[in-house]
Amino acid sequence: MMEDDREKIFASIRKGLRQSERYSAERSSKSPLLDKPGPDFLSLFEKFRSELKTLGGEAVSVQDEAEAFELINTRSHANEALFIYEEIKSKYALLTSSLSERKSVKFQPEFSHGYDRHEAAKFKGVVTGCYACVAETGTVILRTAMRLPAALATQLFVVARGADLRPSLDQIFTEDTARFGGSNLFLVTGPSRTADIEKQLVTGVHGPKDVFVIFMKS
Amino acid sequence: MDLRSRQFASLYRHEISNGQLRSNLSKATLQAVDKRAQSFQEVDFPFLQKEARNIKREAISNLNELLSRFEDNARRNGCKIFYAQTPEKANAYILGVAQKFGARTAVKSKSMVTEEIGVVPFLAKYGIEAVETDLGEYIVQLAGESPSHITTPAIHKSRTEISRLFHEKIGTELNDDPAFLTAEARRVLREKFLSADLGISGANFLIAETGDVVIVENEGNARLSTSAVKVHVVVTGIEKVISNFSDLRIFMRLLGRSSTGQKLTSYVSLLRGPKGEDETDGPEEVHIVLLDNGRSNLLGTEHQEVLHCIRCGACLNVCPVYRSIGGHAYGSVYPGPIGSLVTPLYFGNENAPDLPFASSLCGNCTEVCPVGIEIHHQLLAMRHEIKSKSGTSVERFIFKNYRKTMLRPGRYRLMSKVVRALARTSLLRLLMRGWYPYRETPQFPPRSFREMYKSGEIK
Repeated sequence: MMEDDREKIFASIRKGLRQSERYSAERSSKSPLLDKPGPDFLSLFEKFRSELKTLGGEAVSVQDEAEAFELINTRSHANEALFIYEEIKSKYALLTSSLSERKSVKFQPEFSHGYDRHEAAKFKGVVTGCYACVAETGTVILRTAMRLPAALATQLFVVARGADLRPSLDQIFTEDTARFGGSNLFLVTGPSRTADIEKQLVTGVHGPKDVFVIFMKS
Repeated sequence: MDLRSRQFASLYRHEISNGQLRSNLSKATLQAVDKRAQSFQEVDFPFLQKEARNIKREAISNLNELLSRFEDNARRNGCKIFYAQTPEKANAYILGVAQKFGARTAVKSKSMVTEEIGVVPFLAKYGIEAVETDLGEYIVQLAGESPSHITTPAIHKSRTEISRLFHEKIGTELNDDPAFLTAEARRVLREKFLSADLGISGANFLIAETGDVVIVENEGNARLSTSAVKVHVVVTGIEKVISNFSDLRIFMRLLGRSSTGQKLTSYVSLLRGPKGEDETDGPEEVHIVLLDNGRSNLLGTEHQEVLHCIRCGACLNVCPVYRSIGGHAYGSVYPGPIGSLVTPLYFGNENAPDLPFASSLCGNCTEVCPVGIEIHHQLLAMRHEIKSKSGTSVERFIFKNYRKTMLRPGRYRLMSKVVRALARTSLLRLLMRGWYPYRETPQFPPRSFREMYKSGEIK
């Protein structure tokens, strides 16, 4: 591999910085939000739901896994392939068992060995858990060992618990970031979108067009 | 990069006479301005702007330390780091990576730095097709043009023009519905994502504390360009590094709102290196190319704050000059007020001597800048620098006398009379013939306000 310009660039940076004073900024702990939701689940959920709805997504609160399954089953296309992430299997046994009775369902462990991109693109819907949700923006944060199915599908179902819901991005980015683990994080805020043609909004460009977030009460 | 900023005078004359272009631009930028204003209603913009300015100021004044820390952490995460002083060096490295993986097709997500280095035409010379996957970039690539806006590359094109373009280039039916055109682009690009070996992206931020690369987007193309490939190359400027995630939360509130009027863009990817042992997909290798290309020369100068820019494009939308002439007139990948600074600063005043003059100095750009760059003051300072070296003797004579006139009331009154008298003849119109084709000047009254006030005509 060719030699890079690291030393030259650092020499130039040092030379420039010698002529300017070093600056240290004081960080304010103030939140920039003018309107904050209450800390209880209902207030946070209402804020999350309304933000996601504005973007064309949908958030619902369900009593139990049976209700979650009904919702996924009704909203997904019955004959189209569905991919289930491992987190669902490890956290929600009843939901997993109900989903496994559907046609064209694949689970992460069995599918992940030696799969190719074209195979991953065949899934129209995916069901996954999440690292956290953010009420401020209607965002779900995915941390996954398998990136492609959730990025390629048309429908994204995210199953979350009340405790996953944080008021704002402040909590996410000031939490102990070591908790993010060594992996990648993806913040997903509503459907994939573009307004590149005459500023007219179109959803479902390269990522999911339908985003459903299901909060489990129990 | 094909830099044509020296031809600014002829380029803007051509663009300004295009009524369709002005109509497209006006509609799109005014809509963007409204959306931006709405999106800031729930947050304290002055507070965020001040915080962001301070954070960037600190990051740039400690650039060597932050870059070193980022480099260490990114290497620890398994990334390979390459520093490039010039676009040529960056391109040569990317070509080396592509050849190592035998890549024939690359999928590229939107990035200003990759436009700056001209990686797409460069790879094409070696038989590697680099496909733009952001819809706006894809449109301009099909048209054989360059982007005309930092965040909305095809802002200058109407749906009818795009429909005709798709019909000619990818054989779609003539249909100007944006949903139809978007679906057609998705269909074509999906196959590219599923077959390309190389993914190229930029980075919006680099996190020193963890070595993360932060990519902000709306369409999901950057997610695919960085996930579905064997190797991912990040190409970005050295000034993109910030300290930590806590600082990132400030920029997350500003970037989407300033660029597209969104509280947060649809996707923010925090990428921490290649596929791990416990992961089943993702790139086998991640290379991060850190480009200087003139940036480090700005440190310690009065233009250092230009390095704070987060490329949101808000200054373009509010600029009366940009709205009239569009992005192509600037002859640079960086158009608008920020482009009028960045282009001469990165590529040399001699290559873009007219761009700092492409501003009314109204200050709209400074007002909306999320990181508080004093853009119009910077433009004025650039004008001084350029004209002190290259002004003509006539210009120097005019400005010397203008200064004297403005400092002496008697002389000012005398000159006012002369100008008013000239205005009643056709001589002024003749002297200022370059001004009149596009503008009207109000009629001068026969007497000055002072004279009318003194005579009691005005009370």
